[in-house]
Amino acid sequence: MSGPVALVPGVPALLPSYASLEDPVADLRAACLDAVGRLGARVRVRASGPSGLRVAAALVAASGGAVVDDDETGVLVVGNGSATRTEKAPGHLDERAAGFDAALRRTFTGIDTALAAELWADTACLGELPPLGEAEVLYDDAPFGVQYWVAVWRTA
Amino acid sequence: MRLGRQHFGDDEALMMAIVNRTPDSFFDKGATWAEDAAFARVAEVVAQGAEIVDIGGIKAAPGVEISPAEEKARVVDFVARVRASYPGLVISVDTWRAEVGDAVCAAGADVLNDAWGGADPELVDVAAAHDVAIICTHTGGVTPRTRPYRIEYDDVVAAAVTDTVAYAERALAAGVARESIVIDPAHDFGKNTFHSLEVTRRIGEMVATGWPVLVSLSNKDFVGETLGLEVGERLVGTLAATSVCALAGARIYRVHQVVETRQTVDMVWSIAGRRPPLRAIRGIQ
Repeated sequence: MSGPVALVPGVPALLPSYASLEDPVADLRAACLDAVGRLGARVRVRASGPSGLRVAAALVAASGGAVVDDDETGVLVVGNGSATRTEKAPGHLDERAAGFDAALRRTFTGIDTALAAELWADTACLGELPPLGEAEVLYDDAPFGVQYWVAVWRTA
Repeated sequence: MRLGRQHFGDDEALMMAIVNRTPDSFFDKGATWAEDAAFARVAEVVAQGAEIVDIGGIKAAPGVEISPAEEKARVVDFVARVRASYPGLVISVDTWRAEVGDAVCAAGADVLNDAWGGADPELVDVAAAHDVAIICTHTGGVTPRTRPYRIEYDDVVAAAVTDTVAYAERALAAGVARESIVIDPAHDFGKNTFHSLEVTRRIGEMVATGWPVLVSLSNKDFVGETLGLEVGERLVGTLAATSVCALAGARIYRVHQVVETRQTVDMVWSIAGRRPPLRAIRGIQ
């Protein structure tokens, strides 16, 4: 990868088609737009599936950029931690979730993919990312029982 | 749509709260007859989010004759008081008399709600002169404050469309602004329960005229007769009828219960795809 790299979670509530009168993810949205805005006009997207691709495309479009396959000015990676952090989380509470997310917070290498699946985590595209400790982290929270990070790396 | 000094978007549904300055209206039975009680009612419905208050000095049903002077005594100073306290509130006055309309507009009214279908031909001229809105209702040509008795229509909805559109065009010709003309089929006015049910079922035909539609359903006898319920027990039936009109796109709801009607219309408006949910996150976090 060359140029800046950003990480956002694939949250469908960020899509224009799921807009509410009161934005339930206003802080997250602001952080995502901040991050994507730093990727330049040509953004290559890495996501684990069509839902994440749609969210990425919407964020890139909202930032005035375009999704491209080559000659990118920046890379947008879509993914997030577990979705089992609380009893009201999408996958209900799993006691292992907090530790799993804490480990991801230290490094994205060596992810236990079987555990990730059990914890409803979207980690398929995270493995190549440098650690969060080397990034500017714009958002780190689990407001709905799902662990989100928004981060930007300035790679050489 | 423009109601006096206030503009509203085409996707907005508006609550018009009934405020009676009468001792004998059917629903509240004089609860807001005293001026301070009526003023408290205005404060309450404003707090509940009503965009419009509809102030009336004469009950619709037959009863003691109320002279124009008495009607003005009931509503003109009250309109001025409400206007002074609520500069942004749309004030409608429920009257069919041009003389009363002229006086309330001078006191700050924004809308003339002519529930009796143009019985006084000069009312449109008053609306035009004051640049206020007018509600054009269908009554089948009955005399104000009379009950329907053995009235038949070939097609009640066609009659309502024809008469209200003709009234709207008469208002336009008299100089009322196009964006300030509203039509109302007037449930139960010149109509039996079967007529009012049919008008409700086919309210989309009134919406299709392009004129914004007001519906006045609140606790009326067609609800009571349909469900076998007395006044005071008709809220659920009223809201069911409200849902049908909202789905078809009626824009203004003349109501006693603002909160319940607002919830109903907001819900239907969202089902119809005209209003996003307030705050949706379930399943999309």
